[in-house]
Amino acid sequence: MVGARALRQEDNVIHLTYEDMIMIKKEIIERNPLLNLGYENDYILPSGGLGAVLAHAGVGKTALLVQMALHAMMHEQPVLHVSLNDAVSKVDVWYRELFNDMASSYDVAQTGEYWEKMLNYRFIMTFRVEGFSVPKLEERLTDLMEQNIFKPYAVIIDGLKFDESGRGRLLELKELAAKYDMRIWFTVHTHRHEPPKEDGLPLSFLHVADLFDVLVQLAAKGPEVYIKALKGQSPDAKQDALLLDPATMLIKE
Amino acid sequence: MKFDDQKIRNIGISAHIDSGKTTLSERILFYTKRIHAIHDVKGKDGVGATMDSMELEKERGITIASAATYCEWKGHEINIIDTPGHVDFTIEVERSLRVLDGAILVLCSVGGVQSQSITVDHQMKRYKVPCIAFINKCDRSGANPFRVIGQLRSKLGHNAVAMQIPIGLETDLQGVVDLVAMKAMYFDGDSGENIRIEEIPEQLLAEAKAKRDELVDAASLFSDELTEAILEEKEITPELLYAAVRNGTLKRALTPVYMGSAYKNKAIQPLLDGVTYLLPTPSEVENIALDMNNNEEPVILTSDSEKPIIALAFKLEDGQYGQLTYIRVYEGTVEKGSTIINVRNGKKVKVGRVVRMHADQMEDVDHLRAGYIGALFGIECSSGDTFVSPGINMTMTSMYVPKPVISLAIVPKDNKAQMAMSKALNRFSKEDPTFKTYVDHETNETIIEGMGELHLDIYVERMKREYNAEVTTGNPRVAYRETITQRADFNYTHKKQTGGSGQFGRIAGYIEPISDAEFVFENKIFGGTIPTQYIPACEKGFKQSMAKGPKLEFPITGVKVVINDGASHAVDSSDMAFQAAARGAFKEAYLRAKPVVHEPIMKVVVETPTEFQGSVMGLLNQRRGMIIGSQDEGVMCVIESQVPLGEMFGFSTILRSSTQGKAQFTMEFALYRQVPQSIAEKIALEVAQNKKTAA
Repeated sequence: MVGARALRQEDNVIHLTYEDMIMIKKEIIERNPLLNLGYENDYILPSGGLGAVLAHAGVGKTALLVQMALHAMMHEQPVLHVSLNDAVSKVDVWYRELFNDMASSYDVAQTGEYWEKMLNYRFIMTFRVEGFSVPKLEERLTDLMEQNIFKPYAVIIDGLKFDESGRGRLLELKELAAKYDMRIWFTVHTHRHEPPKEDGLPLSFLHVADLFDVLVQLAAKGPEVYIKALKGQSPDAKQDALLLDPATMLIKE
Repeated sequence: MKFDDQKIRNIGISAHIDSGKTTLSERILFYTKRIHAIHDVKGKDGVGATMDSMELEKERGITIASAATYCEWKGHEINIIDTPGHVDFTIEVERSLRVLDGAILVLCSVGGVQSQSITVDHQMKRYKVPCIAFINKCDRSGANPFRVIGQLRSKLGHNAVAMQIPIGLETDLQGVVDLVAMKAMYFDGDSGENIRIEEIPEQLLAEAKAKRDELVDAASLFSDELTEAILEEKEITPELLYAAVRNGTLKRALTPVYMGSAYKNKAIQPLLDGVTYLLPTPSEVENIALDMNNNEEPVILTSDSEKPIIALAFKLEDGQYGQLTYIRVYEGTVEKGSTIINVRNGKKVKVGRVVRMHADQMEDVDHLRAGYIGALFGIECSSGDTFVSPGINMTMTSMYVPKPVISLAIVPKDNKAQMAMSKALNRFSKEDPTFKTYVDHETNETIIEGMGELHLDIYVERMKREYNAEVTTGNPRVAYRETITQRADFNYTHKKQTGGSGQFGRIAGYIEPISDAEFVFENKIFGGTIPTQYIPACEKGFKQSMAKGPKLEFPITGVKVVINDGASHAVDSSDMAFQAAARGAFKEAYLRAKPVVHEPIMKVVVETPTEFQGSVMGLLNQRRGMIIGSQDEGVMCVIESQVPLGEMFGFSTILRSSTQGKAQFTMEFALYRQVPQSIAEKIALEVAQNKKTAA
């Protein structure tokens, strides 16, 4: 489903063919790590579903999710990015840098214009960690939806603490996702001192793991970053971890 | 011999509107004994603060033009530039930062780092101005200086560290604890002029010790001696600590934070001490001039008073006795009676009166040495001109000047007003490079251009008050632009035979869009189908066409013209003929190159209490705004958006009425973006209508 703002754009703008953009789009799809890991549905998460990227600090959780968001934005699916750590301008820089990195080998004028169009499919909301609550998020969301400003297809919540926030809050978020026909992605910060269980999940995450439809893990080995599916991929998909390009968080060529 | 400039400080006071800059300047002047009584900004006593010298400023309670002022503190000579806080006047802020060596960043202890502070901070970064922060209004309810220090770190990325902690807060604010001397300071007397130093109150001792440790820790990164003293557990002397903090401040790697309340006369004197201890002397700042004789090679200036003169005129004012030119001397000494040259036009000027300014009063001096800020009388020049000694050909780097984005037609009420208006416009455009004026030859209207609605409003007001020029204003107009979106070929022949010698010229080639330049002309003609002497005429013809699009008559940008063929006639070809041919060729190709209209998009940042977040977003959305994001800050939230300038007229009134006056916003130019089709049609209709009424 396309958001209201996107619809309005459709009315007014004459669509041109962006050859370079088609190339970038193709590249993003082909090198999308989650699709390559054997998640079948093009959109990976079903409506109302929850997904999470688990990793130690500094490995690239946010970058991976921003890359996923760019994927959605290119498919004209609005993404709401909720950050509990960073300011709006800093979140914006993540998107710009990842996009520019991919677009650097293409025509600047064209990609610049396309970027302006893609921005219509993104909304950044930041909260202070202590000020974040599900009713508050819902209030903001309805503000946006009632006025036809923005209706997210997917939501990214970056910086929510799982060891502290109990199962209750996640249940509320799952309900919210179903209610508004969205899917929500989270970043999960795992700790180095906490060895994972057999299924790759850290102990402190086990109490909520069943609520998630998709779980993937990022791990750094030296300068390289690997991605591994922990939950939700199709059974006959290959199980190996894939190597990512740390600059773009896409599959390394 | 080099003049010792160790005791000179040129500082600016920059901050968000209403965070108390002018009140602070007023207190500084009082404590440095430049004035003998304190006045409030809004002029309750009918006098008004000394730094707000323009009548209009007094009335609106805001600072419009920056007044330069000179004062002395404990043997140091301090030049202060009071800078305006509203974003529409940022050229003033930028100009002051250009000539300053350091700055006090004033923040409100309740409002904290607001969007305007972010703009000002960017500007300080651009000119690499070291700064110390002053958290003002600690007497207000809700004051929390440490929250503001946190914001300085998180929002502005400053390595902010407290130099003081408050003794009491809000109505209970009594004084501050100096973390360097580890003493409590109280400010007694009617105007806080008597400083009482005592031991730190028992209940604050632990906090003071902890904060001092933080200070020492942060400072130790900038001084090996201090690190050594810490490791060897020696006593850390104030000199050692100040030297380390100063080191970090000059590198812009540390921001020392002072706090107090200017309005309640608390802790201004320690801030002045901070200015003298921590901000740079003129020779500690690297200033660069461009050598015009040597391909504009940058030259580092030395602040030597014995060298030939290099000075920059950074501000003009129309005073009772003619034009007053504020200058900053970078090298040499500007003396009464000496001869200087204006590098821009090569004119020789004899220096008459040299003065040091104290808001709108002045004090005559004999000379201004390198590093000084002062003013000259009776010198004709524009803002931004460089003055040098004869024989020198250097210019100070040109200042960054944004292009105007909005225009307004003004009509004088009668003949007398007409005279006064042209006098005023002449003055304003000299004073402010972002304010432009011209006469539209088609409509015969006088047009003024500037950076925002308020910017132009203020000038219209000033015309009335200072020059007695009554004018009526038209609707503000947005500076639209046209550009092309695809390549189009042309092959145009200009032929005229009207008796006598005729006109002949043929030009062929193509135009195509480019993104990184306004106009590019490329000559790919081989074999002289157009003789070389006519090529400049062709370029001129194309360039002329760029001034006005054939359809909507907005200026055209982003076009590359390539000519690759043509023809000429031995008798009938001329410069005129090829210029006309180029104009014809451009017109022919332009409409086939799918022209589009671009409009200025403003970055609009609104700060509002969270309960109005929804309605503010609605307001922005109705104005074709794209909301980039919203930032939750507890009770307040900040909404960042991009809105077409054409939709922003009257926004401040509507924002006020729908948020009970509790929201505020800043607006600055962000980029040009293509206008949606439906709006483009509307604009075309308006243009057609305007033409009709003009005819």
